[in-house]
Amino acid sequence: MASPPRIAFVSPRFSDGPTVGGAETLLRKLAERLVAKGWQVDFLTTCARNHFTWENEIKPGDTMIAGITVRHFPVDGGRDLAAFIEVQNRISRSAEITRDEELIWHRNNVNSQALYAYLKTEGHRYDKIIMGPYLFALVYFASQIHPERTLLLPCLHNECFATLKTIREMFVNVSGWLFNAEPERDLAMQLYGLDPARAEVVGMGIDDFTTHPDRFRARHNLTAPYVLYSGRREPMKGTPLLLDYLDIFRERTGKDIKLVLTGSGPYDPPTRLVPHILDLGFVTEEEKHDAMAGAAAFCHPSTNESFSIVILESWLAGTPVLVHAAGDVMPFHCRKSNGGLWFRNYPEFEEQLSLLLEYPELRKAMGASGQRYVQNEYAWEAVETRLMKALLK
Amino acid sequence: MSTGSFEIGAAGVDVERINADIRETVAAKMKAGAYVGAQLARAERFNLMNLKKDENFFDFYMESLREAVYVDINDFEIRERRAAFAPLLVRFKKTIWSLMKFYTYRLWSQQNQVNGLLLSATEEVDRKYRGQIKSLEERIAKLEQKLPPG
Repeated sequence: MASPPRIAFVSPRFSDGPTVGGAETLLRKLAERLVAKGWQVDFLTTCARNHFTWENEIKPGDTMIAGITVRHFPVDGGRDLAAFIEVQNRISRSAEITRDEELIWHRNNVNSQALYAYLKTEGHRYDKIIMGPYLFALVYFASQIHPERTLLLPCLHNECFATLKTIREMFVNVSGWLFNAEPERDLAMQLYGLDPARAEVVGMGIDDFTTHPDRFRARHNLTAPYVLYSGRREPMKGTPLLLDYLDIFRERTGKDIKLVLTGSGPYDPPTRLVPHILDLGFVTEEEKHDAMAGAAAFCHPSTNESFSIVILESWLAGTPVLVHAAGDVMPFHCRKSNGGLWFRNYPEFEEQLSLLLEYPELRKAMGASGQRYVQNEYAWEAVETRLMKALLK
Repeated sequence: MSTGSFEIGAAGVDVERINADIRETVAAKMKAGAYVGAQLARAERFNLMNLKKDENFFDFYMESLREAVYVDINDFEIRERRAAFAPLLVRFKKTIWSLMKFYTYRLWSQQNQVNGLLLSATEEVDRKYRGQIKSLEERIAKLEQKLPPG
């Protein structure tokens, strides 16, 4: 009997706890699905948990987690943070950067010589090596070791880092790409002129769930309608924008609407809004889904998402979403699903939120449209079919 | 919105149409001056980075800023909640206020706020035009390469 295919995933962090981002969650979920199909899956990652310090917090070595062999390698020491920040600041300002300067930036980002050495000696044993997200040096250097069997799962955003020469080289050199949504694929095609035949839009499956919105409302004594945001609170995610918009919305319309937050990160709300914020911090998936189901709308003001698991979960919970129009991916999902609206500025946000509050039947219909969209496009069966297609190319 | 009601057919809702209706409504309301004020300009400072994708946004932002520029240093009233000796206490407070020039602090604080907003706007405009200039320079360089030598 032929042995099952052997796959390696490579990412700077492994999603095992609440402190990692969407890309890591996506990679782990895909790995788990392959394990369930009887494939042999190794996950090569570092010993770090914190993506700011990259401190080695986990013991190096192998651990079996949910059928995946997770191999932890130590992060290299001796990073020149000053050099890293200097180049990063210039990239952020869209200043002219030479290839050598880009390499200084990569070399002082997260790296693991131990992981690279393992890939050099053992990489040929894997049928495919899936790596992501694109922004980390670990992925950049690891992708050069066996490019002929490497598939990049980039989680690409339209940002200054995406235009670097070295990033372009990485995209061009690997054997294929797994994208989360069509706009992400189109952006990569536009930036790097890739061969569409080697690209596949895969995404992540969302497991169905049941919700109890009344239980959530009762537990937190919520009688007024609320807008929900789940995820990291930081400027890049648009959190300050949402806080200000909600504050002005309350003042201008006189409507008593609350803001419920789940997730982590500091934020600085307007003083008037403070009594109307319910900050739950980290919650269980069950609690989060209940909060989604009870919300008047889920608002995601970020313009830098390549997928957005939370808006798909909100739709599955039957709740419409409001997203920023400047992103490519989330308005695309809204159009395709008929489950959400996209705003460019405060006036549009005010009109949209007022509309959803005023017309519960519209809210319900949009939530139902979104739910059907997720059930059709992001059921695991559909995602697995797309993943298999990419892996068997 | 100006629309009285929404019809939801068997095929579900049409978010493209809803969004288009909302944009029309907002455009009309903006013309009528329904969305101006310092607080809007303050909120939109986080939205400036998205300027490049919306040409009309800058006009709206500048309009809000113009409203915010007019600082009225008399926009607050010195009051006394205690009924007894109220007129006397108010007069006392006013004297203190005048002596310590607290109004200058208020003026300064508001002016700082406006300056910050104007700075953000100018920086974004600068960034936007630098991008345009860069692409024009690249285009000129390409065209120059196509020119015959001499």
